Amino acid sequence: MESSPFHKQHQETAHPLYENLESALANLSIESEYDVAEYGVLGPPVPPRRNQIRASTPNGSLSSGSLRESGSSGGGGIPDIPVLATPVNDPSSSIVMSLSSMICHRCNEGFEPHEKIVKSHGETWHQQCFVCAQCFKPFPDGIFYEFEGRKYCEHDFHVLYAPSCGKCNEFIIGRVIKAMNKSWHPHCFCCEICNQCLSDSGFIKNANRALCHDCNAREKAAAIGKHICYKCHGIIDDKPLKWRNEPFHAYHFNCTTCSAELTSDARELKGDLYCLRCHDKMGIPICGACRRPIEERVVTALGKHFHVEHFVCAKCEKPFMGHKHFEKKGLAYCETHYHQLFGNLCYTCNKVIEGDVFTALEKAWCVNHFACSICNDKMNQKTKFYELDLKPVCKRCYEKLPSELRKRIQKLHKIPPKKQQMT
Amino acid sequence: MSGGKGGACNGCANLLDFNKTAKIRKVIDDAREKGSTEIDLKEKNIHRFEEIPGIFNMEWITGLSLAHNNLKTVPASISNLYNLEYLNMYNNHLEELPSTISTLPKLKILILAMNRLSVLPRGFGGFAVLEVLDLSYNNLNEASLPNNFWSMTTLRALYLSDNDFETIPSEVGNLTDIQILSFRENDVVSIPREIGSFGRLRELHLQGNRLTLIPPELGQLDLVTQRCIIRLENNPWIQPIADQLEVGVSHVIDFIRTDQYRYIYEKQLQQGTTAPPKTNDKSKKISRRTS
Repeated sequence: MESSPFHKQHQETAHPLYENLESALANLSIESEYDVAEYGVLGPPVPPRRNQIRASTPNGSLSSGSLRESGSSGGGGIPDIPVLATPVNDPSSSIVMSLSSMICHRCNEGFEPHEKIVKSHGETWHQQCFVCAQCFKPFPDGIFYEFEGRKYCEHDFHVLYAPSCGKCNEFIIGRVIKAMNKSWHPHCFCCEICNQCLSDSGFIKNANRALCHDCNAREKAAAIGKHICYKCHGIIDDKPLKWRNEPFHAYHFNCTTCSAELTSDARELKGDLYCLRCHDKMGIPICGACRRPIEERVVTALGKHFHVEHFVCAKCEKPFMGHKHFEKKGLAYCETHYHQLFGNLCYTCNKVIEGDVFTALEKAWCVNHFACSICNDKMNQKTKFYELDLKPVCKRCYEKLPSELRKRIQKLHKIPPKKQQMT
Repeated sequence: MSGGKGGACNGCANLLDFNKTAKIRKVIDDAREKGSTEIDLKEKNIHRFEEIPGIFNMEWITGLSLAHNNLKTVPASISNLYNLEYLNMYNNHLEELPSTISTLPKLKILILAMNRLSVLPRGFGGFAVLEVLDLSYNNLNEASLPNNFWSMTTLRALYLSDNDFETIPSEVGNLTDIQILSFRENDVVSIPREIGSFGRLRELHLQGNRLTLIPPELGQLDLVTQRCIIRLENNPWIQPIADQLEVGVSHVIDFIRTDQYRYIYEKQLQQGTTAPPKTNDKSKKISRRTS
């Protein structure tokens, strides 16, 4: 008994009252021998939980109350399985005593010759006196509980002394876990996070919750923003080494090449871990954006290497992800922003210019759309044109302009309007 | 000049007239035959749309150029050509427009520069998708514009050079997509602060007006970087701006961004200086001619 898990738990968490109860039950004497065969039916030997008494009515003789204690020893264990006593009819167990020398344990009166006498614990009662100390009613099915010399029916015993479970609110008979200022059925006392039963493993109080050791460690680490080592389950105080998406203490690993104990700046390559020195010696390309080695797909552009997700438009910073990009002055742009920034939308059709581009007067045109802004005659890179409000005007149209306008145009340019040529 | 040639010239004129009609007919017939979508009738000495046979039945055409002709009016039936995306009537004698012109649902480019317009029809701003509007070299001012003129939010270029604007209405701020705005050689006395809110503006032509101050809000524009151009020459700028302009436009922009300029600007506004006189001589503009 002393070594049973319950007892251990009991010492940690038992309620003092319960301790008394236990000893009270332990002190119950064995009124008659117990039926060994019955244990076979009922399962493993367990300590007694209830007493049952059966009054019999032999004429003038004392009936034998049979009180059973089914405990394997006289110890204080409390069983989970109810044990019902059966009448024991073995005549040898009956004790015949002188009627006149007996008095009722309750009312101190004597007994009539043909009266039924209840005997229990070496004491005798009138049948009507052998009742629950709380409700004064006979014990249903003869089952009673004794505590501090008084006998109670099952119901009143529970009401008066049995603790109720903090989880299911039912009375607890048998092993009680006393924890978190409440009582629990052993199977009801579980980790509030993972629901694992805590009765035998013990628990840790965390923010007024009972948690198992693992959950508590996780909670504690999360609360201080730290990782739990996937290997040793300890808190990682400095930077974790991430490997296969799990955090570890770096010191659990050694460099694949030089066997040095690793630090958190170790690098993973094809599933193996290397110290930074060894890793850098292996000729891994370095990303031009984040300056870290590239272990997966490498994009090479602008004379540099990039992580796929780090090769982005200089304007909108979205990764190109394999879509075409436009380079300008050492920077890369997505199609939209290249054209938005560098004006390669056609002035005439306002669409992105496919193929060759005519640029002039801070504008751009599709090859087919480059034309005199007045007569719409097509022009090419050899056509000479004049400028009016930053629009191209062919020579023929320019000469058709009223002379007063031409004079003003010349005045605006301060110098005679020089003929412009396509670039 | 041609006085001495008498009767011969009459025949000549008839012949020319015949020649002209034949040329127009050829263009139209070719277009019908080939199903062309673009018709080029520039420099055909056309006085009236009626001289173009069946033009308003060619509803499939997307482009029509009538530059350098002598058209005085546009019939309301122009709206029959509902596929038009490009309409060019540069250098004609237009004095008025039908209000139906703005019902052309696909028109993107409308060139009405160098005409004799002094008024625009009611509802002119009703174009659905107009992107480029060139009204340069007419006789327009802020009073000529219909109420909905500034509601053409699809515009990316608006040319109003060589007109008679004295103010730029603050409603110009409605043109949120505008990239090119030209008020070259009007009589404009002030720039509305709203121009500072144009996010995509890349050309602003303000040469040859009566401007003295630039609203500090223009400093928000990214006009100094590549491909952004602001033209400020030939205005009676206050001395500090004129001094900066001598060095370069970018210096002007830097200057108007300073608190010092902000202070000058607010002070000048409070004083309410009188507008400088008009200096542009417009008497010789061909848009001033009357028929």
